[in-house]
Amino acid sequence: MLREFHYMTPPEGISGKTETPQEKQGGLSADLCELGATGSRDAFARIFAEMAPRLRAFMLKNGLGASAAEEVLQETLLRVWRKAHLFDPEKSSASTWIHTIARNVKIDRLRKEARPEPDPEDPSFIPAAPETGEENMARKQDSALIRKAMSVLPPEQLRIITMSFYEEKSHGEIAEELGVPLGTVKSRIRLAFGKIRAEVEKMQ
Amino acid sequence: MTIRHHIADDTLMAYVGGTLAPSLSVAVATHLAICPRCRDSVAMMEEVASLYLEETEPLSHSEKDKDAALLDQIMATPRTETAEQGAVSSLAGPAIGSVPRPLADYMPVPLDQVPWKRLVPGISHYPLPQPGGKRKGSALRLLKIAPGTRIPEHSHSGQELTLILEGSYIDEIGRFQKGDIADLDNEIHHQPVADTDQDCICLIATDGPLKFSGIFSRLLQPIIGI
Repeated sequence: MLREFHYMTPPEGISGKTETPQEKQGGLSADLCELGATGSRDAFARIFAEMAPRLRAFMLKNGLGASAAEEVLQETLLRVWRKAHLFDPEKSSASTWIHTIARNVKIDRLRKEARPEPDPEDPSFIPAAPETGEENMARKQDSALIRKAMSVLPPEQLRIITMSFYEEKSHGEIAEELGVPLGTVKSRIRLAFGKIRAEVEKMQ
Repeated sequence: MTIRHHIADDTLMAYVGGTLAPSLSVAVATHLAICPRCRDSVAMMEEVASLYLEETEPLSHSEKDKDAALLDQIMATPRTETAEQGAVSSLAGPAIGSVPRPLADYMPVPLDQVPWKRLVPGISHYPLPQPGGKRKGSALRLLKIAPGTRIPEHSHSGQELTLILEGSYIDEIGRFQKGDIADLDNEIHHQPVADTDQDCICLIATDGPLKFSGIFSRLLQPIIGI
Protein backbone atom coordinates (compact mmCIF):
# COMPACT_ATOMS: atom_id res chain seq x y z
CA MET A 1 0.00 0.00 0.00
CA LEU A 2 2.90 2.28 0.77
CA ARG A 3 4.28 1.87 -2.72
CA GLU A 4 0.90 2.57 -4.19
CA PHE A 5 0.70 5.77 -2.18
CA HIS A 6 4.05 6.80 -3.62
CA TYR A 7 2.68 6.42 -7.14
CA MET A 8 -0.44 8.26 -6.19
CA THR A 9 1.54 11.42 -5.51
CA PRO A 10 1.52 13.86 -8.38
CA PRO A 11 4.14 12.61 -10.84
CA GLU A 12 5.73 16.05 -10.74
CA GLY A 13 6.77 15.65 -7.15
CA ILE A 14 9.45 13.02 -7.64
CA SER A 15 12.53 14.92 -8.65
CA GLY A 16 15.07 14.85 -5.87
CA LYS A 17 17.53 13.38 -8.31
CA THR A 18 20.83 14.96 -9.37
CA GLU A 19 19.84 14.75 -13.00
CA THR A 20 16.48 16.12 -14.08
CA PRO A 21 14.37 13.82 -16.26
CA GLN A 22 14.80 16.30 -19.10
CA GLU A 23 18.61 16.11 -18.97
CA LYS A 24 18.52 12.36 -18.80
CA GLN A 25 16.05 12.27 -21.70
CA GLY A 26 18.31 14.50 -23.77
CA GLY A 27 21.28 12.14 -23.36
CA LEU A 28 19.21 9.04 -24.02
CA SER A 29 17.64 10.61 -27.09
CA ALA A 30 21.03 11.68 -28.48
CA ASP A 31 22.44 8.19 -27.87
CA LEU A 32 19.49 6.54 -29.59
CA CYS A 33 19.87 8.85 -32.62
CA GLU A 34 23.60 8.15 -32.74
CA LEU A 35 23.00 4.40 -32.55
CA GLY A 36 20.48 4.65 -35.38
CA ALA A 37 22.75 6.75 -37.59
CA THR A 38 26.15 5.14 -36.97
CA GLY A 39 25.57 1.87 -35.11
CA SER A 40 27.78 3.20 -32.29
CA ARG A 41 28.49 0.49 -29.72
CA ASP A 42 29.33 3.09 -27.10
CA ALA A 43 25.95 4.74 -27.56
CA PHE A 44 24.23 1.38 -27.20
CA ALA A 45 26.22 0.53 -24.07
CA ARG A 46 25.07 3.82 -22.49
CA ILE A 47 21.43 3.17 -23.45
CA PHE A 48 21.76 -0.33 -22.04
CA ALA A 49 23.22 0.88 -18.74
CA GLU A 50 20.44 3.47 -18.40
CA MET A 51 17.49 1.29 -19.36
CA ALA A 52 18.27 -2.37 -18.59
CA PRO A 53 18.07 -2.23 -14.76
CA ARG A 54 14.83 -0.24 -14.76
CA LEU A 55 13.25 -2.39 -17.46
CA ARG A 56 14.14 -5.52 -15.50
CA ALA A 57 12.59 -4.13 -12.32
CA PHE A 58 9.50 -3.04 -14.24
CA MET A 59 9.09 -6.48 -15.86
CA LEU A 60 9.48 -8.30 -12.54
CA LYS A 61 7.08 -6.21 -10.49
CA ASN A 62 3.79 -7.63 -11.80
CA GLY A 63 4.50 -11.29 -11.38
CA LEU A 64 6.33 -12.01 -14.63
CA GLY A 65 8.74 -14.81 -13.62
CA ALA A 66 12.47 -14.12 -13.55
CA SER A 67 13.26 -16.11 -16.69
CA ALA A 68 10.32 -14.63 -18.60
CA ALA A 69 11.41 -11.16 -17.50
CA GLU A 70 14.95 -11.82 -18.78
CA GLU A 71 13.55 -13.01 -22.13
CA VAL A 72 11.40 -9.90 -22.52
CA LEU A 73 14.34 -7.71 -21.51
CA GLN A 74 16.63 -9.43 -24.01
CA GLU A 75 14.14 -9.20 -26.89
CA THR A 76 13.41 -5.55 -26.06
CA LEU A 77 17.06 -4.48 -26.01
CA LEU A 78 17.74 -6.51 -29.15
CA ARG A 79 14.98 -4.61 -30.93
CA VAL A 80 16.41 -1.31 -29.66
CA TRP A 81 19.82 -2.34 -31.04
CA ARG A 82 18.41 -3.30 -34.44
CA LYS A 83 15.65 -0.74 -34.89
CA ALA A 84 17.22 2.43 -33.46
CA HIS A 85 17.12 3.99 -36.95
CA LEU A 86 13.31 3.99 -36.68
CA PHE A 87 13.36 6.23 -33.59
CA ASP A 88 12.08 9.74 -34.36
CA PRO A 89 12.75 12.27 -31.58
CA GLU A 90 10.03 14.49 -33.09
CA LYS A 91 7.42 11.85 -32.38
CA SER A 92 8.24 10.49 -28.94
CA SER A 93 10.75 10.69 -26.14
CA ALA A 94 13.51 8.07 -26.07
CA SER A 95 12.37 6.30 -22.94
CA THR A 96 8.79 6.16 -24.22
CA TRP A 97 10.02 4.64 -27.48
CA ILE A 98 11.94 1.94 -25.61
CA HIS A 99 9.14 1.39 -23.09
CA THR A 100 6.63 0.95 -25.90
CA ILE A 101 8.83 -1.73 -27.46
CA ALA A 102 9.08 -3.47 -24.07
CA ARG A 103 5.31 -3.35 -23.57
CA ASN A 104 4.67 -4.76 -27.04
CA VAL A 105 7.18 -7.58 -26.53
CA LYS A 106 5.47 -8.44 -23.27
CA ILE A 107 1.92 -8.23 -24.69
CA ASP A 108 2.89 -10.40 -27.67
CA ARG A 109 4.42 -12.93 -25.33
CA LEU A 110 1.34 -13.11 -23.11
CA ARG A 111 -0.98 -13.42 -26.10
CA LYS A 112 1.29 -15.76 -28.03
CA GLU A 113 0.31 -13.69 -31.06
CA ALA A 114 1.41 -10.25 -32.21
CA ARG A 115 -1.00 -7.49 -31.25
CA PRO A 116 -2.33 -5.89 -34.46
CA GLU A 117 -0.64 -2.56 -35.11
CA PRO A 118 -0.76 0.06 -37.86
CA ASP A 119 2.17 -0.26 -40.28
CA PRO A 120 3.51 3.03 -41.71
CA GLU A 121 4.80 1.09 -44.76
CA ASP A 122 1.28 -0.11 -45.59
CA PRO A 123 -0.01 1.58 -48.80
CA SER A 124 -3.35 2.18 -47.04
CA PHE A 125 -1.67 3.99 -44.13
CA ILE A 126 -2.66 7.67 -43.94
CA PRO A 127 0.19 9.82 -42.60
CA ALA A 128 -0.45 12.93 -40.52
CA ALA A 129 -0.74 16.19 -42.43
CA PRO A 130 2.56 18.12 -42.46
CA GLU A 131 2.80 20.12 -39.24
CA THR A 132 2.83 23.88 -39.20
CA GLY A 133 5.92 25.65 -37.86
CA GLU A 134 4.17 26.49 -34.63
CA GLU A 135 3.21 22.91 -33.87
CA ASN A 136 6.75 21.81 -34.63
CA MET A 137 8.17 23.88 -31.83
CA ALA A 138 6.69 21.77 -29.09
CA ARG A 139 5.90 18.15 -29.61
CA LYS A 140 2.31 17.39 -28.66
CA GLN A 141 3.41 14.42 -26.61
CA ASP A 142 6.13 16.24 -24.69
CA SER A 143 6.68 14.11 -21.60
CA ALA A 144 7.52 17.05 -19.30
CA LEU A 145 4.22 18.73 -20.22
CA ILE A 146 2.29 15.49 -19.78
CA ARG A 147 3.92 14.94 -16.38
CA LYS A 148 2.78 18.41 -15.36
CA ALA A 149 -0.70 17.91 -16.78
CA MET A 150 -1.12 14.69 -14.80
CA SER A 151 -0.50 16.56 -11.57
CA VAL A 152 -3.89 18.30 -11.87
CA LEU A 153 -5.85 15.03 -12.09
CA PRO A 154 -8.15 14.23 -9.18
CA PRO A 155 -6.90 11.21 -7.17
CA GLU A 156 -9.65 8.87 -8.37
CA GLN A 157 -8.69 9.48 -12.00
CA LEU A 158 -4.93 9.24 -11.39
CA ARG A 159 -5.52 6.02 -9.48
CA ILE A 160 -7.14 4.36 -12.50
CA ILE A 161 -4.29 5.42 -14.77
CA THR A 162 -1.82 3.98 -12.25
CA MET A 163 -3.79 0.72 -12.03
CA SER A 164 -3.83 0.48 -15.83
CA PHE A 165 -0.26 1.39 -16.69
CA TYR A 166 1.69 0.51 -13.55
CA GLU A 167 -0.27 -2.45 -12.23
CA GLU A 168 -1.27 -3.41 -15.79
CA LYS A 169 -4.87 -4.26 -14.92
CA SER A 170 -7.80 -4.44 -17.32
CA HIS A 171 -10.80 -2.10 -16.94
CA GLY A 172 -12.83 -5.07 -15.66
CA GLU A 173 -10.25 -5.90 -12.98
CA ILE A 174 -10.09 -2.24 -11.93
CA ALA A 175 -13.89 -2.03 -11.63
CA GLU A 176 -13.92 -5.14 -9.48
CA GLU A 177 -11.10 -3.98 -7.23
CA LEU A 178 -12.57 -0.52 -6.69
CA GLY A 179 -16.12 -1.85 -6.42
CA VAL A 180 -17.46 0.56 -9.05
CA PRO A 181 -19.34 -0.18 -12.30
CA LEU A 182 -17.28 -0.70 -15.45
CA GLY A 183 -18.94 2.40 -16.92
CA THR A 184 -17.51 4.49 -14.08
CA VAL A 185 -13.99 3.25 -14.79
CA LYS A 186 -14.43 4.10 -18.46
CA SER A 187 -15.85 7.55 -17.82
CA ARG A 188 -13.03 8.39 -15.35
CA ILE A 189 -10.50 7.42 -18.01
CA ARG A 190 -12.23 9.62 -20.58
CA LEU A 191 -12.30 12.54 -18.13
CA ALA A 192 -8.64 12.04 -17.21
CA PHE A 193 -7.32 12.06 -20.76
CA GLY A 194 -9.62 14.92 -21.71
CA LYS A 195 -8.06 16.90 -18.86
CA ILE A 196 -4.48 15.92 -19.76
CA ARG A 197 -5.08 17.01 -23.37
CA ALA A 198 -6.58 20.33 -22.27
CA GLU A 199 -3.73 21.03 -19.82
CA VAL A 200 -1.04 20.22 -22.39
CA GLU A 201 -2.73 22.54 -24.90
CA LYS A 202 -2.88 25.32 -22.30
CA MET A 203 0.83 25.03 -21.58
CA GLN A 204 1.92 25.13 -25.24
CA MET B 1 -11.44 10.98 -46.12
CA THR B 2 -12.57 13.13 -43.22
CA ILE B 3 -12.95 11.11 -40.06
CA ARG B 4 -15.59 12.40 -37.67
CA HIS B 5 -16.07 9.49 -35.29
CA HIS B 6 -13.06 8.34 -33.30
CA ILE B 7 -12.10 5.68 -30.78
CA ALA B 8 -12.99 6.49 -27.16
CA ASP B 9 -10.02 7.11 -24.84
CA ASP B 10 -10.88 4.19 -22.55
CA THR B 11 -10.70 1.81 -25.53
CA LEU B 12 -7.43 3.34 -26.74
CA MET B 13 -6.01 3.03 -23.24
CA ALA B 14 -6.88 -0.68 -23.07
CA TYR B 15 -5.26 -1.11 -26.50
CA VAL B 16 -2.08 0.66 -25.36
CA GLY B 17 -1.98 -1.37 -22.16
CA GLY B 18 -2.54 -4.65 -24.00
CA THR B 19 -5.73 -5.51 -22.12
CA LEU B 20 -8.17 -4.99 -25.02
CA ALA B 21 -9.75 -8.16 -26.49
CA PRO B 22 -7.84 -9.31 -29.61
CA SER B 23 -10.88 -8.92 -31.90
CA LEU B 24 -11.36 -5.31 -30.74
CA SER B 25 -7.63 -4.66 -31.15
CA VAL B 26 -7.85 -5.52 -34.85
CA ALA B 27 -10.55 -2.86 -35.36
CA VAL B 28 -8.57 -0.32 -33.30
CA ALA B 29 -5.33 -0.92 -35.23
CA THR B 30 -7.19 -0.71 -38.57
CA HIS B 31 -8.68 2.67 -37.62
CA LEU B 32 -5.29 3.87 -36.30
CA ALA B 33 -3.75 3.16 -39.71
CA ILE B 34 -6.02 5.77 -41.28
CA CYS B 35 -6.51 8.21 -38.37
CA PRO B 36 -3.59 10.48 -37.40
CA ARG B 37 -5.66 12.03 -34.62
CA CYS B 38 -6.19 8.73 -32.80
CA ARG B 39 -2.50 7.91 -33.36
CA ASP B 40 -1.68 11.18 -31.54
CA SER B 41 -3.83 10.03 -28.63
CA VAL B 42 -2.00 6.69 -28.56
CA ALA B 43 1.35 8.54 -28.54
CA MET B 44 0.15 10.66 -25.60
CA MET B 45 -0.95 7.57 -23.67
CA GLU B 46 2.38 5.87 -24.36
CA GLU B 47 4.13 8.90 -22.84
CA VAL B 48 1.87 8.63 -19.79
CA ALA B 49 2.58 4.90 -19.49
CA SER B 50 6.32 5.45 -19.74
CA LEU B 51 6.29 7.91 -16.83
CA TYR B 52 5.67 4.85 -14.66
CA LEU B 53 8.76 3.16 -16.09
CA GLU B 54 10.82 6.25 -15.38
CA GLU B 55 9.70 6.05 -11.80
CA THR B 56 10.51 2.39 -11.34
CA GLU B 57 13.59 2.03 -9.16
CA PRO B 58 16.13 -0.56 -10.33
CA LEU B 59 16.41 -3.68 -8.15
CA SER B 60 18.50 -3.24 -5.04
CA HIS B 61 20.94 -5.96 -6.07
CA SER B 62 22.68 -5.24 -9.33
CA GLU B 63 22.85 -7.83 -12.09
CA LYS B 64 26.24 -6.78 -13.45
CA ASP B 65 27.39 -10.20 -14.73
CA LYS B 66 24.07 -10.94 -16.36
CA ASP B 67 24.04 -7.48 -17.92
CA ALA B 68 27.59 -7.72 -19.28
CA ALA B 69 26.80 -11.09 -20.90
CA LEU B 70 23.54 -9.78 -22.36
CA LEU B 71 25.18 -6.64 -23.72
CA ASP B 72 27.86 -8.72 -25.50
CA GLN B 73 25.30 -11.13 -26.85
CA ILE B 74 23.15 -8.35 -28.32
CA MET B 75 26.04 -6.44 -29.84
CA ALA B 76 27.23 -9.66 -31.50
CA THR B 77 23.95 -9.66 -33.45
CA PRO B 78 24.08 -7.95 -36.86
CA ARG B 79 22.09 -4.73 -36.91
CA THR B 80 20.73 -5.27 -40.44
CA GLU B 81 17.20 -6.57 -40.41
CA THR B 82 17.09 -8.71 -43.55
CA ALA B 83 15.84 -11.92 -41.92
CA GLU B 84 13.10 -10.16 -40.01
CA GLN B 85 11.94 -8.11 -42.98
CA GLY B 86 11.55 -11.32 -44.99
CA ALA B 87 9.43 -12.80 -42.25
CA VAL B 88 7.17 -9.75 -42.16
CA SER B 89 6.45 -9.69 -45.89
CA SER B 90 5.59 -13.38 -45.95
CA LEU B 91 2.91 -12.66 -43.35
CA ALA B 92 1.20 -10.17 -45.63
CA GLY B 93 -2.10 -11.61 -46.79
CA PRO B 94 -3.30 -11.46 -50.40
CA ALA B 95 -5.70 -8.69 -49.42
CA ILE B 96 -3.03 -6.10 -48.77
CA GLY B 97 -3.71 -2.75 -50.38
CA SER B 98 -7.50 -3.00 -50.42
CA VAL B 99 -7.89 -2.48 -46.67
CA PRO B 100 -5.36 -1.34 -44.06
CA ARG B 101 -2.76 -3.90 -43.08
CA PRO B 102 -4.02 -4.79 -39.58
CA LEU B 103 -7.31 -5.99 -41.12
CA ALA B 104 -5.75 -7.39 -44.31
CA ASP B 105 -3.74 -9.78 -42.13
CA TYR B 106 -7.04 -11.40 -41.09
CA MET B 107 -8.72 -11.40 -44.51
CA PRO B 108 -8.35 -14.60 -46.54
CA VAL B 109 -9.52 -12.74 -49.71
CA PRO B 110 -9.55 -9.11 -50.90
CA LEU B 111 -12.58 -7.04 -49.99
CA ASP B 112 -14.04 -7.10 -53.52
CA GLN B 113 -13.89 -10.92 -53.60
CA VAL B 114 -15.52 -11.65 -50.27
CA PRO B 115 -17.99 -14.60 -50.56
CA TRP B 116 -20.85 -12.84 -48.71
CA LYS B 117 -23.37 -15.01 -46.87
CA ARG B 118 -26.89 -13.64 -46.88
CA LEU B 119 -28.53 -13.37 -43.47
CA VAL B 120 -31.80 -11.66 -44.39
CA PRO B 121 -32.74 -9.62 -47.45
CA GLY B 122 -30.34 -6.68 -47.67
CA ILE B 123 -27.92 -7.90 -45.01
CA SER B 124 -25.02 -10.27 -45.56
CA HIS B 125 -21.97 -11.08 -43.55
CA TYR B 126 -18.59 -12.77 -43.67
CA PRO B 127 -17.05 -14.06 -40.45
CA LEU B 128 -13.28 -13.58 -40.19
CA PRO B 129 -10.86 -15.85 -38.36
CA GLN B 130 -10.71 -15.14 -34.63
CA PRO B 131 -7.56 -13.32 -33.65
CA GLY B 132 -5.93 -14.98 -30.67
CA GLY B 133 -8.14 -18.08 -30.89
CA LYS B 134 -11.83 -18.58 -30.07
CA ARG B 135 -13.21 -16.66 -27.10
CA LYS B 136 -16.76 -16.73 -25.88
CA GLY B 137 -18.81 -13.91 -27.35
CA SER B 138 -15.82 -12.45 -29.15
CA ALA B 139 -16.09 -12.12 -32.92
CA LEU B 140 -14.69 -10.34 -35.92
CA ARG B 141 -16.84 -10.09 -39.03
CA LEU B 142 -17.62 -8.03 -42.09
CA LEU B 143 -21.18 -6.88 -42.58
CA LYS B 144 -22.71 -5.64 -45.83
CA ILE B 145 -25.89 -3.58 -45.67
CA ALA B 146 -27.75 -2.83 -48.89
CA PRO B 147 -28.90 0.79 -49.50
CA GLY B 148 -31.94 1.67 -47.41
CA THR B 149 -31.76 -1.47 -45.29
CA ARG B 150 -32.22 -1.07 -41.56
CA ILE B 151 -30.47 -3.30 -39.02
CA PRO B 152 -32.99 -4.40 -36.37
CA GLU B 153 -32.70 -2.40 -33.16
CA HIS B 154 -30.24 -3.98 -30.80
CA SER B 155 -27.93 -3.32 -27.90
CA HIS B 156 -24.73 -5.01 -26.81
CA SER B 157 -23.81 -7.19 -23.87
CA GLY B 158 -20.16 -6.28 -24.26
CA GLN B 159 -18.26 -3.76 -26.31
CA GLU B 160 -18.67 -3.39 -30.06
CA LEU B 161 -16.49 -1.50 -32.52
CA THR B 162 -17.84 -0.82 -36.00
CA LEU B 163 -15.44 0.55 -38.59
CA ILE B 164 -16.89 1.76 -41.90
CA LEU B 165 -14.90 0.40 -44.85
CA GLU B 166 -17.24 1.47 -47.69
CA GLY B 167 -20.43 3.52 -47.92
CA SER B 168 -22.12 4.97 -44.86
CA TYR B 169 -24.90 4.46 -42.36
CA ILE B 170 -26.91 6.66 -40.07
CA ASP B 171 -28.28 5.84 -36.62
CA GLU B 172 -29.33 7.50 -33.36
CA ILE B 173 -25.76 8.69 -32.77
CA GLY B 174 -25.01 10.21 -36.15
CA ARG B 175 -23.81 9.55 -39.65
CA PHE B 176 -20.88 7.18 -40.06
CA GLN B 177 -18.81 7.31 -43.23
CA LYS B 178 -15.73 5.56 -44.57
CA GLY B 179 -13.01 5.57 -41.88
CA ASP B 180 -15.37 6.44 -39.01
CA ILE B 181 -15.53 4.09 -36.07
CA ALA B 182 -18.44 3.61 -33.68
CA ASP B 183 -17.26 2.69 -30.20
CA LEU B 184 -20.34 1.35 -28.41
CA ASP B 185 -20.90 -0.25 -25.07
CA ASN B 186 -23.90 -1.96 -23.55
CA GLU B 187 -25.82 1.21 -22.76
CA ILE B 188 -26.54 2.02 -26.38
CA HIS B 189 -29.55 0.82 -28.36
CA HIS B 190 -29.28 1.61 -32.03
CA GLN B 191 -30.84 0.84 -35.36
CA PRO B 192 -28.39 1.69 -38.15
CA VAL B 193 -29.63 2.20 -41.73
CA ALA B 194 -27.47 2.33 -44.87
CA ASP B 195 -28.28 5.82 -46.13
CA THR B 196 -26.77 6.15 -49.62
CA ASP B 197 -27.19 4.30 -52.91
CA GLN B 198 -24.02 2.36 -52.13
CA ASP B 199 -23.65 -0.81 -50.04
CA CYS B 200 -22.35 -0.06 -46.58
CA ILE B 201 -19.53 -2.44 -45.69
CA CYS B 202 -18.22 -2.42 -42.15
CA LEU B 203 -15.91 -4.34 -39.92
CA ILE B 204 -17.59 -5.35 -36.67
CA ALA B 205 -15.56 -6.46 -33.69
CA THR B 206 -17.31 -7.58 -30.52
CA ASP B 207 -16.34 -9.02 -27.19
CA GLY B 208 -19.86 -9.98 -26.17
CA PRO B 209 -23.00 -11.09 -28.05
CA LEU B 210 -25.52 -8.51 -29.29
CA LYS B 211 -28.99 -8.33 -27.78
CA PHE B 212 -31.88 -7.65 -30.12
CA SER B 213 -34.92 -5.86 -28.73
CA GLY B 214 -37.93 -6.84 -30.86
CA ILE B 215 -39.56 -10.28 -31.07
CA PHE B 216 -38.78 -10.60 -34.75
CA SER B 217 -35.20 -9.56 -34.01
CA ARG B 218 -34.85 -12.13 -31.27
CA LEU B 219 -35.83 -14.81 -33.78
CA LEU B 220 -33.14 -13.44 -36.07
CA GLN B 221 -30.37 -13.53 -33.51
CA PRO B 222 -29.52 -17.24 -33.74
CA ILE B 223 -29.24 -16.86 -37.51
CA ILE B 224 -27.00 -13.83 -37.39
CA GLY B 225 -25.19 -15.24 -34.42
CA ILE B 226 -23.96 -11.85 -33.29
